[in-house]
Amino acid sequence: MKKKILILPFVIFSLVLLTFFYLLIIDRNPSEIPSTLLNKNYPKFETESLLKKEKFLSVKEFENKTVLVNFFASWCKSCSTEHKFIQRFSDDETIKVIGINYKDNPKKALAWLKKLGNPYSNIAIDKNGRIAIDWGVYGIPETFVVSPEGIIQYRHVGPVNNKIFKKINSIIKKNDK
Amino acid sequence: MTSYLGNFLLWSSLFFAISQFFISRKINQQNLKFIGVSVIGLLISSTASFFLLMYAYVISDFSLLNVFQNSHTTKPLLYKVSGVWGNHEGSMLLWILVLTIFNYFIFKLNSKKNYFFILKSLETQALITIGFILFTVLTSNPFERMISNEQDGLGFNPILQDPALAIHPPLLYIGYVGFSAAFSMSIATLKLNNEEKILWFNYMKPFVVAAWSFLSIGIALGSIWAYYELGWGGWWFWDPVENASFMPWLLGTALLHSLIIVEKRKSLQAWVLFLSILTFLLSVVGTFLVRSGILTSVHTFALDPSRGIYILIFTALLGGYSLILFGNNSKKYFNKNYFTFFSKEGSILVNNILMVVVCSTVFLGTVYPLLIEALTSNKISVGEPYYNSTVVPIIMPAILIMGIGPILSWGKEDKLKIFKKILPSIFLTAIMTMIVFLFYQSYSLIGVAGITLAFWIIFNNIMILIKKVKNHSLGMIVAHLGIGLLILGITGSSVWQEEKISRMKINNNVQVNKYNIVFKEIKEIKRSNYLALQGNFVVHDNKKNIVTKLKPENRFYPITNIFTTEASIHTSLLGDLYIVIGEGNLNDGWVVRIYYNPLVIWIWIGAFAIFAGGIISVNSNLKKLKNLS
Amino acid sequence: MINKNHISTKIFIIVMMIFLFLPFFNKSYGVEPDEVLEDKKLELRARDISKNIRCMICQNQSIDESSAPLAKDLRIIIRSKIKEGKKNDEIYEFLTDRYGDFILLKPPFKLTTLALWFLPFIFFVIGVYVVLSHNKKSK
Repeated sequence: MKKKILILPFVIFSLVLLTFFYLLIIDRNPSEIPSTLLNKNYPKFETESLLKKEKFLSVKEFENKTVLVNFFASWCKSCSTEHKFIQRFSDDETIKVIGINYKDNPKKALAWLKKLGNPYSNIAIDKNGRIAIDWGVYGIPETFVVSPEGIIQYRHVGPVNNKIFKKINSIIKKNDK
Repeated sequence: MTSYLGNFLLWSSLFFAISQFFISRKINQQNLKFIGVSVIGLLISSTASFFLLMYAYVISDFSLLNVFQNSHTTKPLLYKVSGVWGNHEGSMLLWILVLTIFNYFIFKLNSKKNYFFILKSLETQALITIGFILFTVLTSNPFERMISNEQDGLGFNPILQDPALAIHPPLLYIGYVGFSAAFSMSIATLKLNNEEKILWFNYMKPFVVAAWSFLSIGIALGSIWAYYELGWGGWWFWDPVENASFMPWLLGTALLHSLIIVEKRKSLQAWVLFLSILTFLLSVVGTFLVRSGILTSVHTFALDPSRGIYILIFTALLGGYSLILFGNNSKKYFNKNYFTFFSKEGSILVNNILMVVVCSTVFLGTVYPLLIEALTSNKISVGEPYYNSTVVPIIMPAILIMGIGPILSWGKEDKLKIFKKILPSIFLTAIMTMIVFLFYQSYSLIGVAGITLAFWIIFNNIMILIKKVKNHSLGMIVAHLGIGLLILGITGSSVWQEEKISRMKINNNVQVNKYNIVFKEIKEIKRSNYLALQGNFVVHDNKKNIVTKLKPENRFYPITNIFTTEASIHTSLLGDLYIVIGEGNLNDGWVVRIYYNPLVIWIWIGAFAIFAGGIISVNSNLKKLKNLS
Repeated sequence: MINKNHISTKIFIIVMMIFLFLPFFNKSYGVEPDEVLEDKKLELRARDISKNIRCMICQNQSIDESSAPLAKDLRIIIRSKIKEGKKNDEIYEFLTDRYGDFILLKPPFKLTTLALWFLPFIFFVIGVYVVLSHNKKSK
């Protein structure tokens, strides 16, 4: 009986270390928080549009196509670095790229788009960041993939890079089939 | 050049550590001479490597990558020096230095009677040292060469430029690493043959007390830094990094006290051996958590998985070996002992158990988010509210018992006698608590409990001092008084904190507690390594006398592009007035946060008393040890 | 003698139990002047909630202490919800629906956090058992 109890510290110790080991070797970003919105309907919203006079109605904009939703702002540095990838998405005919301009000055945002090029088919203005909160956004840029059925399939926090670009593309391809 | 010399010193440290390991495996008295060469060689080469790096920092030798990344020519000298351990690689050199110093102290204890024990302890100590030197050389070498030629360094985080933080890591490391000596001695004890008899616990005790004292003051300085530098009036956040130092402290406390029982009664030996193993393992696991980047936290050092994997393997070997050894060899140290509840050993036992329970809870809270993430890929947070509702209620009875423990006698005691002994302190505690609450006029259950417990401890210890009870160590009384003051400060500052957040224009005034604070002016100032906006607040008391002028700053460090807020604090024995200035402009005014934090100074006074008590006790324990041999 | 000792251990356990159910420390930091609600009771509620909400970008800080913009937005939302007459639970639900359990500094009672909340209690019970089993009079 006593002998068995003496093994216990060793067993607990090993289990804890195994957990650490597992977390160390898997591909993981400790500061990324998984979205609770995955596999749920996208949060609907209504707001001004940066590009058009008509109101931006999410119900109208999100139609039977895969939609890429990108939260951005002209003041956000890493938004410029991911811009070329967003551009590449806009070349894809099978999807629609929608921008949500987060806490920005509309004039500055338009100037920024003029300089870098506009990849978005429409842009919603999120003046006070309320839409972002509904989407569970905590640091821009953030990018979401919404299926043609309006289900959120993927969320990425931080600038899109080559790896993420490929990942998103594979999701889009699957939807297209 | 510096790089070659540094690497040479690191490799020679490794050489001496390995030779120490092999020499220590032959147990005979003559070997002490040979091993002395290794021990001293190790000490000299690790000291030299440490001071070489320090020299490189002081003269801004940018031929070292580490200096280039973490220093800057405009940095004040103090922060150039502390920059050595302000980063991961440099701090490993400090870690190794402390390890070899303790190694030397163990060696110094040798005599004809104890050579087998000392040699066996030095064997384990050598293994630990080898592990950490290899880690430094392989994954975090501070002497890596800088390829290009640079005129100036990248500087370092201005938040870390603070005197308290400058000396915080060395003290903390003395604490962590000091427990390695207890660990080595515990392993040595477990490996003793049946014919080898030694009072191992007497050897272990001064090391444990020293490590514990330094850990205490190290943690306190970390808190002081947070309080003065982070600028929101708090000083403890249950951050994983803080927990990593708090857990060994809790186990160290248990270890320290059960060593007293072993000394007096020869019981609980197996328990002490187990605790000393666990305490050091927790220190290493704590280091792992901080350095591996497995959790993100305000304090985390640079992320690198290879480091994490190395420390993990090292910890696994260390822990696996020691825990299995304990499982196999500890049988002869077990003896079922019974205690009366109301006796000194009874109270120590209860305290011991409660410390371990608290430590397990803190450990659970710290690793649980990681467990959940590994198992479900979900993330949860375990923050202050969790610890407040789990740790606080467990620690309170421990404090209650702590007040009475030193008064109780060994063996058993008549309850009526005990009652007579504590009657004066019960009386005094009740009176003082009432006075305090008449003064503050704000009641809450937790406040009453905290203040009562604080005075309970303080008066019990004062009574011991007054009555000049024999056989009471001064160190214990001072340290216990320190705990009492600490609790007083913690309770006061948590329960009665006042806060005023307002937008103030020039010449506006606010009333906080008994102070009237006038915002006089705001101006730009320029220092060698930062620019700042400095507010000037004049503080008046009730009678309209000027108490002090407070000048909080908003600093901008152009080198690293970092903004910091510098709180300005008026400290008195009753409480701190704490002002932070936020955003704003001349037209709308500035956001000004003013806190009145009652009794905060007693937290620091308490912590220093704990440290002083510990050092007194180390001294008396060393004397005891000398008489022994 | 035997009885007396049993009574004292019982008293000891009862005292510990009382401590277990005490309400706990309240601290207050942060928050900007223009956010504060006029009704002091409601403001206090808002502060209590924000102390339990984690600032997502800063690690281990509550939104009550943080100066991050998102923390400020969330503080304002919490206050507007309180003004609308929403209950605390509804506000917590609103936040976890968007940000998950991660945003709660005090983890919720759930199947996955069962061990987190009950183990300390079990540790404590084991501790009490160890103490009692070493009590001289119990043998």
